[in-house]
Amino acid sequence: MINAWLRWSRENELAYLFFRNPVAIVAAIIAILCIGGAVLSPWLAATDPYDIASLDIMDSLIPPAWSESGDARFFIGTDDQGRDLLSAILYGTRLSLLVGFLAITFASVLGVTVGLMAGYFGGRFDAIMMRIADIQLSLPAILTALLVDGIAKGLLPRGQHDNLMIVVLTVAIGLSLWVNFARTVRATTFVERNKEYVQSCEIMGMHPFRIMFTHILPNIMGPILVILTVDLAVAVLLEATLSFLGVGVPANQPSLGTLIRIGTEYMFSGEWWIVIFPSAMLILMIISINVLGDFLRDALNPRMR
Amino acid sequence: MTVIFRRSLSVGFAALWLTASGVTQAETFKWAGTTDPQTMDPHATNSAPVLGFLNNVYEGLVRRNKEMKIEPALAESWEQIGSDGWRFNLREGVTFHDGSAFTADDVLFSYERASSEDSDVRSWFAPVDSVAVVDDYTIDFLTKAPNPLFPDSIANFMIMDRDWTTSNEAARPSREAENFATRNTNGTGAFTVTSRDPGVKTTLQPFDGWWDTLESNITEAVFTPIGESATGMAALLSGEIDFISPIPLQDVPRMKERDGFTVHEGVEARVLMFGFAHQADSLKFSDDLTGENPFKDVRVRQAAYQAINVDALIDKVMRGSAQPASQLVSSAMKGYSEAKSERLAYDPDAAMQLMKDAGYEDGFSFGLQCPNDRYINDEAICKAAASMFAKVGLNAKLTAMPVRNYWPELREDNFDMYLLGWSPGTFDAEHPIRFLAHTPNSEKKLGSWNFGDYSNARVDELLPMIQTELDEDTRQAMIDETTELLQQEIAYIPMYVQPLIWASKDTIELTQRTDNFFILRWVTVN
Amino acid sequence: MLAFVLRRLAQSIFVMLAVSLIAFSLFRFVGDPIAQMVGQETSIEDQENIRERLGLNDPLTTQYVRFVSNLSQAEFGYSYRTRQPVSEMILSRLPATLELGAISLVISLIVGIPAGIYTALKRGFLSNALLVATLVGISIPTFVIGIFLIYLFGVSLGWLPTFGRGQTVALGWWQTNFLTVSGWKALILPGVTLGVYQLTLTMRLVRAEMQEVLKTDYIKFATARGINYRSLYLNHAFRNTLVPVVTIIGLQLGGIIAFSIVTESVFQWPGMGLLFLESIRYVDIPVMSVYLVLIALMFVVINLVVDLLYFAIDPRVRLRGSHD
Repeated sequence: MINAWLRWSRENELAYLFFRNPVAIVAAIIAILCIGGAVLSPWLAATDPYDIASLDIMDSLIPPAWSESGDARFFIGTDDQGRDLLSAILYGTRLSLLVGFLAITFASVLGVTVGLMAGYFGGRFDAIMMRIADIQLSLPAILTALLVDGIAKGLLPRGQHDNLMIVVLTVAIGLSLWVNFARTVRATTFVERNKEYVQSCEIMGMHPFRIMFTHILPNIMGPILVILTVDLAVAVLLEATLSFLGVGVPANQPSLGTLIRIGTEYMFSGEWWIVIFPSAMLILMIISINVLGDFLRDALNPRMR
Repeated sequence: MTVIFRRSLSVGFAALWLTASGVTQAETFKWAGTTDPQTMDPHATNSAPVLGFLNNVYEGLVRRNKEMKIEPALAESWEQIGSDGWRFNLREGVTFHDGSAFTADDVLFSYERASSEDSDVRSWFAPVDSVAVVDDYTIDFLTKAPNPLFPDSIANFMIMDRDWTTSNEAARPSREAENFATRNTNGTGAFTVTSRDPGVKTTLQPFDGWWDTLESNITEAVFTPIGESATGMAALLSGEIDFISPIPLQDVPRMKERDGFTVHEGVEARVLMFGFAHQADSLKFSDDLTGENPFKDVRVRQAAYQAINVDALIDKVMRGSAQPASQLVSSAMKGYSEAKSERLAYDPDAAMQLMKDAGYEDGFSFGLQCPNDRYINDEAICKAAASMFAKVGLNAKLTAMPVRNYWPELREDNFDMYLLGWSPGTFDAEHPIRFLAHTPNSEKKLGSWNFGDYSNARVDELLPMIQTELDEDTRQAMIDETTELLQQEIAYIPMYVQPLIWASKDTIELTQRTDNFFILRWVTVN
Repeated sequence: MLAFVLRRLAQSIFVMLAVSLIAFSLFRFVGDPIAQMVGQETSIEDQENIRERLGLNDPLTTQYVRFVSNLSQAEFGYSYRTRQPVSEMILSRLPATLELGAISLVISLIVGIPAGIYTALKRGFLSNALLVATLVGISIPTFVIGIFLIYLFGVSLGWLPTFGRGQTVALGWWQTNFLTVSGWKALILPGVTLGVYQLTLTMRLVRAEMQEVLKTDYIKFATARGINYRSLYLNHAFRNTLVPVVTIIGLQLGGIIAFSIVTESVFQWPGMGLLFLESIRYVDIPVMSVYLVLIALMFVVINLVVDLLYFAIDPRVRLRGSHD
């Protein structure tokens, strides 16, 4: 009965598959470097870019160290505020990953649960949840974020709001992303629900939730993983958009997405490094996470062997 | 509905076409700006995009020349009638675009329309007591008190035709719904609007019957709003448009190096400054102080002033394209105080000493509010200033937001310090004193943008004197005194005057005016 | 079937009411409309007068009831910013958005589905390159992709226009891009920009589904029986991925409308997204609310069609629907 979940924990099998797959190994190394660098940023980074007292505007817009007017102190140059770009990217990635992972976790848990139940039970529950999904889809992410932020501002005292901005962002981004999960899961559950294995479980009198989470869910992990990994990039970039609206992280603590957003202002001014390096970081991270996601899906899928 | 025509020619082809067409041929001039004028009604919205655009279509009694000085337009001359007001002698033989004649009655009508309840420009007429038509070409504006500045203050008061307006049921500007004048025009200006698709495209043509001689050789002008500055730049570089205003500061150096294009740089009238919560009993955003407001102490305000390295801000954030400001108006404005043109020096050590003297040796945190879509590089300026403040113990918690949220936030006093830019509509030093320095008084409509409630009895006393003083030197002395008071008390921290950055093909000759109005009749396509 | 459609239409009214209610309650977070309507010299009293006359001082419930009752009488009100009738503004912008959306949907499907099938069946350089390229596409903000395309094809190469719709032809009130060369040229860059995210998602979802299906027993049996590969993949395997693909198309349309806000603003594409962005900037509540209600209506219709397609495609779903 819980075979599917048992497979998740068979680490030796997973490891075996992993070490036979060079692409997955490279992806894992990159992902570990990116995520590790982000998590350990306070110890790795040369400077603390969030300590605004240490910034000097005269250091702004210095090109990477290897170019003619570079400065050895700033290996990949500085941004428009005179921050060491490498440190800013490490710190910013940490912030973005925190918000991004929390948000897509929130979105996937909510979306998958709703989608499973809607697809399995159908009927009135399905109708209500899908109409709520319609409502959600009709509200652009910008407005959802403003709503969440507005409610948070209304409920919390002014000083507290800053400290809870991670929660506000998570909820705002999560709310605008859950529908993708819900609708895809619902559609695949529709199909799975009528397959023999589900029907035999029903005949055995198994609890519907147990059928959903232990039998159907492992069989529909493919699409879920796709959306999960693709939406991480979307969440990181969405966070940057929201910070422009005054809903995001404090202006003096740029996230990776915010660094990219600010960098776009310098796309044609010759200061290419401000936009290239943060974007490259995000692209590398997203690609490696997606490759890992594909690998995991194949390795964990009970039907793949 | 309009059909949008656009030639999709490459730059080279376009250049060929221009040379082949010769001088006598039709010269279509295409230009872009960031915002579409909200309306074609000159009295409905008092905003720069509207007034700037309509200056090409409608005219006032007076107009500003290339140097921003007042010159005759629909009025040939004007003089003060004692201390009661002003008499305007109107130009004869002027016709509106529809052919009807311009007379004093149209001026009276326009005054009634522009000063009505539904008008957004009625504040210009607050000093006016009554208007009297003397004859068809003479009209008197009688003021409540002597008003030396009145002609200067009505340069954007545009004259509409009584018959055209009333017969089209547009006798009053409309607040709620559109009326005929929202999308149709009938001015006396150099250009007529031939088609308008709001937010998409507006086309103009020279008016044959214009009373003045047209300097421009363009035969058709097409305006397209392009909100994204990068898109606008691309449109200019690809040759699809001839002119754009503004372009981002950071793109200026590269633009200058490109062949075939010209960057037009100038100084705008807008002064950027920081304001304080002068009257609040406690800081609203502080983590470490409760129940006290250090900004009530002039030493703390001065510390903030001297902590800012304005030259570095101008050099790095504004790319060297701004001028430092010592007072609330730029040196191009009337009444600029030459006597008080010195800024306090950038001196972090002095600032730290001042903090110590005021009892804040260990610093404190406070909230700094800033818009992120209102002024050139506004968010970057605030970030850079925050890091300069931090070096003397002023730990700014910066919040940047779009301007649509910003003004409500300031009106609700949700700030400890804030960024403000001010451009005097009258191009006179009296303007910011009236709006920013006078104690807020909603009855008298004074100090309405003085969010921090700065208050000084002597400044309040000086303002009406400045407004009514007829002698230039005495008036200047009063402005100098006010400027000195504001500087001594650090009512604001004036930082720099914002630049104007336009770009065009180098075949375009134009004149850049300090008010950022784009005047079509000064454009020549070579 | 008819009962189902009728029930869904009834539900759609509920959806639109809910959207408008939520939209209404959050408008005060968007900003102050009055400050955006007047000049800096307009006195506070005058601003208050306007607020009063526009009914913005009324309780939210009163404003909401007024809005809904106007809406039910097809009274959409006037824009705060341009003072034009909102219905006219939206109608004139609607064709631009729908045509752009249609093009990007087509791009994302005719590229995404074959690419998804190909990458599921073949491994190798092209397959990996496709997967990586689309991931790069979604990791770069739409804004940057758009500007990059504009600079490459509009400025450097000079092949395509940098902004706007090009020449359009009027079919009644509908301005179409599809009947002129310049209209088609103008569609390419924004269509591609808007299609990138959708393309990535389509391709990867089709690929994931396809891989699942290929591992199922009946395909294995079919392979064992020696059925021709081509017919196997296209007739048997692909048909089984159709249910999720239809869902994706439904999602795509939603995504396209949502993402079109940014794309339209980069390309100065005079559609509803650009209009909506402008109305947020000016806190133009009448335009925003009508836009949102209209979008809600579109979603309801799209999802209704998607659900009906489920019935048509998959007999097993039909079985479930019957005892709803």
